Amino acid sequence: MSELTVETRDLEQVTLLYPRGFINAHTVRLFEGELRRLVEQGRFQIVLNCADLAYIASAGLGAILGSIEEIRERGGDLRLSELNPTVLGIFEMLGFDRLYRIYASEWEAVSSFASPEGPGPA
Amino acid sequence: MSAPLVRLSFPSQTRLLGLVRGVVGEVASQAGLEPEAAEQVALAVEEAATNVIEHAYGGAPDGLVELQADIQGSELVIELLDRGRQVDPRSVPSVDLDRYQRERRRGGLGLHLMARIMDSVSFSRREGCNVCRLTRRVAQR
Repeated sequence: MSELTVETRDLEQVTLLYPRGFINAHTVRLFEGELRRLVEQGRFQIVLNCADLAYIASAGLGAILGSIEEIRERGGDLRLSELNPTVLGIFEMLGFDRLYRIYASEWEAVSSFASPEGPGPA
Repeated sequence: MSAPLVRLSFPSQTRLLGLVRGVVGEVASQAGLEPEAAEQVALAVEEAATNVIEHAYGGAPDGLVELQADIQGSELVIELLDRGRQVDPRSVPSVDLDRYQRERRRGGLGLHLMARIMDSVSFSRREGCNVCRLTRRVAQR
């Protein structure tokens, strides 16, 4: 498995991001570049599907922190789905689960954008 | 630390962080930590190594980092040694996530993770080296 690949898929107004591998200080530029590209393209409703994300280090968490304000200022949000126990543990440890909506499934995360409030996070 | 279980020297390059993580995860498993806890310890050490590469060596790829890991009684003890610039961790502010988000800051998250995962994290100087020492309790062997 390569260190990190990030695929994207548009589902109407929502863009899905699929990081596969790990996000750390070595691979974060690729991840950050994809986030930046989405913002520049005006795609502000983003779901980060973490099903194939083995782990995320602080560099990756910093990349999310660094872009979330701009995404929300533009009326969008970055929501997460399918975190494995390791990644969820890291999010909870830093209190990221308080800042971001985390869903058990991709479908729930995508459909949460359908209404202003959306279903509550898992 | 005399004659540690594992000693690994590597150049200050982020492409090697995955290797460091793998080695530490294996040692943590052998020390008796559950898989998720071993993963977390590996992450904490990866964060420490990232700090060395990015701050002590300022991103220069030709610095030398030494990792020593040992199981001492009921403790897993990991030390990272470098000869780069001395970084005072007290200069790193505590993490206020709301403020971080507002101000789009990102520094200090790694140290915060290290402190949350490990039982102790300390920084010192020894024989001209910066030493970052991380410990975590494991089952008595």
